[in-house]
Amino acid sequence: MSLDIRNLHKNFAGQVALDRINLRIEASEFVCLLGPSGCGKTTLLRCIAGLLAPDRGEIRLAGRDLAAVPARERGFGIVFQSYSLFPHMTVAENIGYGLRIRGAESSRIAARVRELLDTVKLASYAERYPGQLSGGQQQRVAIARALAVDPQLLLLDEPLSALDARVRDELRGELRDVQRSLGIPTLMVTHDQDEAMVLADRIVCMNRGLIEQVGPPEELYARPRTRFVADFMGHGNLLSVDWLQDAAPWLLDTRPAGISDAGAVCLRPEHVGLQCDALGEGQVTDFTFMGNFKRVQLDWKGRNLLAEVPARTRFERGDRVRVDIDARDCAWVEA
Amino acid sequence: MSAGFALPASRLPRLASAMDDRWLLNACLWLPLAALLLFFVMPMGFIAWRSFMQEAGGIGLANYAALLDTPGVWRATRNSLAVGASTTLVTLLLGFVFAYGLERTCMPGRRFVSLSLTLPMLAPSLVLGLGLIFILGRNGIVGKVFGFRPEIYGFHGLVIANVLYALPQAVMILRAALRGADARQYDAAEVLGATPWRQFRDITLPGMRYGLLSAAFVVFTITITDFGNAVVIGGDYTVLATEIYNQVSGQMRFGIGAVVGLLLLLPAALSVWIERVAAQRQAGSGADGAQAPVPQPHRLRDGIYAIVCVGLSTLIVAVVAIVVVAGFIRLWPYRLDLTLRHYDITVSGGYASLWTALWVSLLAATLGVALLFLMAFAVRRLTGWPQRLATLLCALPVGVPGLVLGLSYVFAFNQPQLPWGVLYGSAFLLAMCNLMHYYTQGYVTMMTGVRGVPVQLEEAVGVLGGGVLQLLRDVYLPAVRVTLWSVAAFLFMRSMVTLSAVIFLITPMLSMAAVTVMRLDEAGFTAQAAAFSTCIMAVVGSVALLMHVLTTRAAARG
Ligand SMILES: Nc1ncnc2c1ncn2[C@@H]1O[C@H](COP(=O)(O)OP(=O)(O)OP(=O)(O)O)[C@@H](O)[C@H]1O
Ligand SMILES: [Mg+2]
Repeated sequence: MSLDIRNLHKNFAGQVALDRINLRIEASEFVCLLGPSGCGKTTLLRCIAGLLAPDRGEIRLAGRDLAAVPARERGFGIVFQSYSLFPHMTVAENIGYGLRIRGAESSRIAARVRELLDTVKLASYAERYPGQLSGGQQQRVAIARALAVDPQLLLLDEPLSALDARVRDELRGELRDVQRSLGIPTLMVTHDQDEAMVLADRIVCMNRGLIEQVGPPEELYARPRTRFVADFMGHGNLLSVDWLQDAAPWLLDTRPAGISDAGAVCLRPEHVGLQCDALGEGQVTDFTFMGNFKRVQLDWKGRNLLAEVPARTRFERGDRVRVDIDARDCAWVEA
Repeated sequence: MSAGFALPASRLPRLASAMDDRWLLNACLWLPLAALLLFFVMPMGFIAWRSFMQEAGGIGLANYAALLDTPGVWRATRNSLAVGASTTLVTLLLGFVFAYGLERTCMPGRRFVSLSLTLPMLAPSLVLGLGLIFILGRNGIVGKVFGFRPEIYGFHGLVIANVLYALPQAVMILRAALRGADARQYDAAEVLGATPWRQFRDITLPGMRYGLLSAAFVVFTITITDFGNAVVIGGDYTVLATEIYNQVSGQMRFGIGAVVGLLLLLPAALSVWIERVAAQRQAGSGADGAQAPVPQPHRLRDGIYAIVCVGLSTLIVAVVAIVVVAGFIRLWPYRLDLTLRHYDITVSGGYASLWTALWVSLLAATLGVALLFLMAFAVRRLTGWPQRLATLLCALPVGVPGLVLGLSYVFAFNQPQLPWGVLYGSAFLLAMCNLMHYYTQGYVTMMTGVRGVPVQLEEAVGVLGGGVLQLLRDVYLPAVRVTLWSVAAFLFMRSMVTLSAVIFLITPMLSMAAVTVMRLDEAGFTAQAAAFSTCIMAVVGSVALLMHVLTTRAAARG
């Protein structure tokens, strides 16, 4: 069962929310939709769910066009950030709601609810009302409710972002386990790149309604193709062509065809080699202790450079250092 | 969303310097608390006491027994229940249509509809009865034009007038209930496969359970304790409100009055209790960050709602407008030339009562704002049993219908031998009575304003060495300025139009405007009654308009 999105467009009162979206989600794949606030993640998710009609383009599930299929007949599961549980229904009634609508027998519903309550570790909370649960527990119930109907696709819109850090980590792991064991293709929206890297088989990085890059987490991190992705996926140094010409011309040889002079090299800070050297061209201007590593600010050939070194490396402000850069660690990004 | 458990209101850190002027803080609590005890708790005590005080002397249940063989009261009770139940049913149905139309459809004319719903609040309730009579009564326009005279005096007229009067309040409660739902609940249900009808049944209706119940009790209470319409359009159809008035003011049977007054507390008390339960239930679902469902256009549905709502709104506007118009007509509906002579009112005390009402309303607004502000401030700053007692007492007045409050004032203050008996027949007492009548609503608004004052600001004053006085002057007063004005306007407007409480307290020397309208109508001077009502509506309407301008300005300034 795979989902195929072709050339999707959506405007809100003339303002572009989705632009030329092409995406394929394979069976049992976990895809994260990553991007800054307002980039159209929720809009895309709602289009897929059928809660919003796209202006152009098509969405196919296992080859079947969904355009004429209303949301309630798509058989998907959806989880929102919060507020989506039915407040006057107990936890058990919430989870069983989808099955009740489908007219399932009450004994079957009860069995399924019990099974799911175990899955989300809320077995003893069946008779509580959502108002009597913590935020994390409510999200567990929402996930169970979405899973109850054996959805063909699971859609998650920032299901963890309203939770505090510890609960979020815990639920993140559980979500991944459940998705793996059930093998349901899943699309999750998030604006937290750590979360996307932990959970996703593939990350879709969006910006201003456009998909900038799609790929496995390692690829987006190590080989970003645009400045935006390079920036969004973590710390880095963006070295412009102009500067490289004076300071590190040997890196220019690696420039692939098609990257213009406005392009740049993305160099992750952990790939900047530092060696204490009284004759070195770099000078430490500042550093921050981060626990398992140190983040170092350097002055190097007229620009500021960010590096990360093991925590035990000793530096003082003003120390001179030699800087080593391996061309293989560099990724060229478009403007 | 934060955890669903209701947390106790966080205690504010005590300021170092506040210790020195704690007496000032305590004074802030005890002054309004004393007023509440004297003008609310004590009269309620008196009414309870009087219900046991037998006319033959001694203490006992004779009054309760006497009730059983007072046929007038029984007939009035039956009638009141019939009117109350019918009004409640019709109002809930219409109120639901209005609320749903305003909140969940894209029907055209929404501004007109919500504007028209404010009209009945700006006038004494009996204006609606008056308007109905001008349209459908013996000398109504319908009778003259079509020669068709429906029996409007009595049950039907009462129900219609009460529905029009209670509708805005029902719509307000039901709209709030509809706003409590979240769009994502509907989205989730949709994706789970629920049809629109199922979503209505499984999300919308259950979400409104408490709203509907609370609206039902509010409407029922308003209806069975409303005085004005019963007199104006009730005809021979006696209801509880008028019957009690006759028993107490006419036949001096105070014991019976006290018993019925106590019984009338029941439905109102129930409604208050339901509202509390509902508030607790809603606390769990979290209010901030919720997204109200955004209605999508739907031709057929929007059209149907527009026809019903705009049609009914037009009726409301027409009923009120006809009163204004009739005040300028020489002889409604036979000689339709314009005249101002009905404004030359000399009977029933003339305009004296309008000035009294203005004075009493100003007094109620000023005293009310001062007392409520001190109360809200003290309740927020203090802890301990006096604070808890105050919180509890502030919530009670809303459960006491005006009729019962007025009765209790008769029992408590029409006592020349007691020290507070001197207050009887004074404008001050009328003002306090009106203040207590609307105390809880004012307190809730005030509390909302006071809660908006940032704790950091208070702490800053404390750290800079300021005490209670500085805190009041430099932090609270500026921050709640708009709230103060809106509470004052609310008290003033209600005080101008209310009838059911003050009817027991007026004397030949001291009457209120709404009472005069009723007297004029009783005496057959309907055109003068209309003219007088128009004056009241002009005053109240101007204040409402002024308040609207003031609040929109303040909102624009941020
Ligand atoms: N119903 C709507 N009407 C008009 N504009 C909308 C509507 N929904 C979204 N938009 C606009 O479309 C753009 C994309 O919104 P969307 O909600 O998809 O962003 P998002 O990526 O989910 O952001 P966030 O991380 O803040 O949730 C935004 O500019 C938003 O203002
Ligand atoms: Mg979003």
